[in-house]
Amino acid sequence: MAQGWRGKEAIEMATTTGVSKEEFKNAKLYKSVHGIDMEEFYTSGHRTCQGCESALVMRDFVKASGPRTVVTGATGCMYVANTSYMTTPWVVPWMHTQLGGGGASAVGMAAGLRALMRKGKIPDEKINVINFSGDLGGGDMGLGGISGALQTDYDMLIIIYDNESAANTDIQATNMTPWGAQTTFTPTGSKKRIMHDKWKKNVAPMLAIGHPNCKYVATACATFPPMDYMNKVKKALSIGGPTLIHTMDPCPKGWDYHPRYSGDLGQLAIKTGIFPLYEIIKGEVNYTYDARKTKRVPVREYLEKQGRFSHFIEDDFEFVQSRVDEMWNDWEIPGVAPIKGWLSVRR
Amino acid sequence: MSGSSRGTKSEAVSTAEMEKSVLRLEVNYRGIFQKSLAYRITNDLVYAAHSEGKTAFSNGRYSDDPQRNGVPCANFAFFSDALSEDDLEAVASASMDIDRANVVVVLDDTMVKGLEPWGHYGIRPINEKVIPGGTLLIVSRRKPEELIRHLEKKTFDYNIAILPGDQSFAGLWYYRDDATDVRTIAAVARVAPEIVGIHSVEEYVKKKYNDAAKVKSLQEAYDSVVVREVKQSEGIAWPHSKPKLPSWDSFDEGIVVKSVERGFTLGPRGQNRNPNFKRGTSKTQRPVIRFDTCIKCTLCWYDCPDECFDPTADGLYDVNYEYCTGCGRCAQVCPVDDCIVMVDDLNFEDNSSPWEMYKRDAEGYVKWLEEKKGKVRFMPSPVTGKGVRHTEIKAAVPFKQDGGN
Ligand SMILES: Cc1ncc(C[n+]2csc(CCOP(=O)(O)OP(=O)(O)O)c2C)c(N)n1
Ligand code: SF4
Ligand code: SF4
Ligand code: SF4
Ligand SMILES: [Mg+2]
Repeated sequence: MAQGWRGKEAIEMATTTGVSKEEFKNAKLYKSVHGIDMEEFYTSGHRTCQGCESALVMRDFVKASGPRTVVTGATGCMYVANTSYMTTPWVVPWMHTQLGGGGASAVGMAAGLRALMRKGKIPDEKINVINFSGDLGGGDMGLGGISGALQTDYDMLIIIYDNESAANTDIQATNMTPWGAQTTFTPTGSKKRIMHDKWKKNVAPMLAIGHPNCKYVATACATFPPMDYMNKVKKALSIGGPTLIHTMDPCPKGWDYHPRYSGDLGQLAIKTGIFPLYEIIKGEVNYTYDARKTKRVPVREYLEKQGRFSHFIEDDFEFVQSRVDEMWNDWEIPGVAPIKGWLSVRR
Repeated sequence: MSGSSRGTKSEAVSTAEMEKSVLRLEVNYRGIFQKSLAYRITNDLVYAAHSEGKTAFSNGRYSDDPQRNGVPCANFAFFSDALSEDDLEAVASASMDIDRANVVVVLDDTMVKGLEPWGHYGIRPINEKVIPGGTLLIVSRRKPEELIRHLEKKTFDYNIAILPGDQSFAGLWYYRDDATDVRTIAAVARVAPEIVGIHSVEEYVKKKYNDAAKVKSLQEAYDSVVVREVKQSEGIAWPHSKPKLPSWDSFDEGIVVKSVERGFTLGPRGQNRNPNFKRGTSKTQRPVIRFDTCIKCTLCWYDCPDECFDPTADGLYDVNYEYCTGCGRCAQVCPVDDCIVMVDDLNFEDNSSPWEMYKRDAEGYVKWLEEKKGKVRFMPSPVTGKGVRHTEIKAAVPFKQDGGN
């Protein structure tokens, strides 16, 4: 049954997240949900799970970038589920690359296009080059390649779509899997309740801080707030050079919740502050949902809706809450960079 | 096959001869949230058959992996009272899929509408593999007749058996044990005692679970199964053709998959979609839409991860049920009360455009729709294995002559 407030509030939020910065005046940002392009370039007929948010990450980036786009995709759900026996939902050209090959494949594609245009073999026009890699493929294995790509001068966008596990191979822990989550590598047991005892890797800030030439790094959730992610794609593509977006993708299979609630969980990830939403434009952090100013929803409301945390006891909820509080209250750049949070100068 | 160096007891016997003692069972289930359940069923049947001195083994359909929520999947189990393990494996397990089964189990009754587990498979009938005199065993609250009307007409008689029960979505990390596993095993013993007898099942379950409630549910299930013969005259001419798989020599150079041709216009079926793989057979429920109360907010269209909504010229969003997976996201995000509601897919005859029906006769459409919806609303728990909440509404939202704006 309809949840009323969720939809209404989402519409309001969609129109209030600032979209008209001078530097993005050529980005053709969406100003209202009714202005979003209707045509699909990633369309129906894919073998993703019911309710899969990562599928929306695909659909929306190519909607925002338009038909003059070429895509490379690393191995993972978004490759395998989208190539069900010699079929595809892609309308735009798309190429598969190796699990850790996202950065290199995007550089290769951008370099190839530039060379063909210079030699006059294809018309000189703006063609968007976009790579998507999963949290394992991009955030762990492919980090070196992405780092290399971010130091080039090619125009391209790399999207790390983060479903918080190696989902395609049936949910193994990655370094982006949140603390305490059950995966096939980290089941709960009677001797050890918490098998995954690492805190999630902070990948977007790490790439932003380490690559000062990169003009745009952002985090996003495909469906919340509406348009936010698509406008970030437009900003990344219009600012030029290599850019990066890290998306938070609720995954009904791996997180073990009913597919109906993917949108709610994305929303809760942001409202609890566990996944901060921001963009870093030429070194300046701009919160697109400012969890410092809004009353954060307790993380328990997010965690208890997922079977992967069904083994949590009171202490666990409190621990996660304390880490999220620390991130927003103590970090030098709240939610982004933990300079004061856990790094300090030795005395 | 015969004369295997592993010293089988049937040397010099032909495959056809060995085949005679083999019994096959298929379990159809929905990917991920029925996976653990399906594995329990085939594993337990195999162990119970072992206890009778039979040879038996089970496996999952290889090509289902990686599984995705809702996608139809299958497990198989093979039994023989004459063959050695080597011979049974040689006869039964060589192929990825099986082509016939003595018993076909179905854990979600909406699968009677057809199965399309992956691209180029086509929408195949659930009773495709049932052999003459074999049994289609369905967990369902429906009468046999309500299910038979969706089945393909066969060229021979066979049986349909109903085990009364709901679709059990047991979950992944959080597993809900509602005894559907042992109930189904008991039902198999009832319809095919030649696979395994009820006494062996009972003994096995007693030993494995040491749980009186489980044993009681299996005994109840055994008695509650309804069996009825399906005559070869019953059922429908199957409306979906079997596609021809592209073979290696019809591929383009390199590994090239043809993209979907670009194409979009406003209105029903206005967006080009992948013609060789539809996702409609993934759904247990479908979203039904009150176009008269819709406020045209775009959110159902925006949130649908399968791109099923077709924007129309009058600002509404038609839904293409051929591709809808039944996830329920549109119903969850819709800001208008009772405007999009998830309804049992078995209540519907076809996948035609609801918007066209609304345009032909708005009031008639709303009346039809409210009858399909009934008064009970289903709300799944966020953690799938924690079940579904049922609520009853007092009355339907009255028809709005001028639409929702
Ligand atoms: C080099 C290499 N190692 C392992 C694999 C097996 N493999 C395929 S997909 C996958 C998981 C990828 O995880 P992620 O990048 O997070 O994407 P997801 O599947 O979660 O979408 C793995 C381990 C592979 N294809 N290549
Ligand atoms: S496992 Fe997760 S990311 Fe992969 S298709 Fe399913 S929902 Fe999407
Ligand atoms: S239930 Fe709704 S959101 Fe889900 S696939 Fe069907 S139309 Fe799309
Ligand atoms: S979400 Fe509901 S109100 Fe909004 S466009 Fe869809 S049907 Fe209409
Ligand atoms: Mg992943």
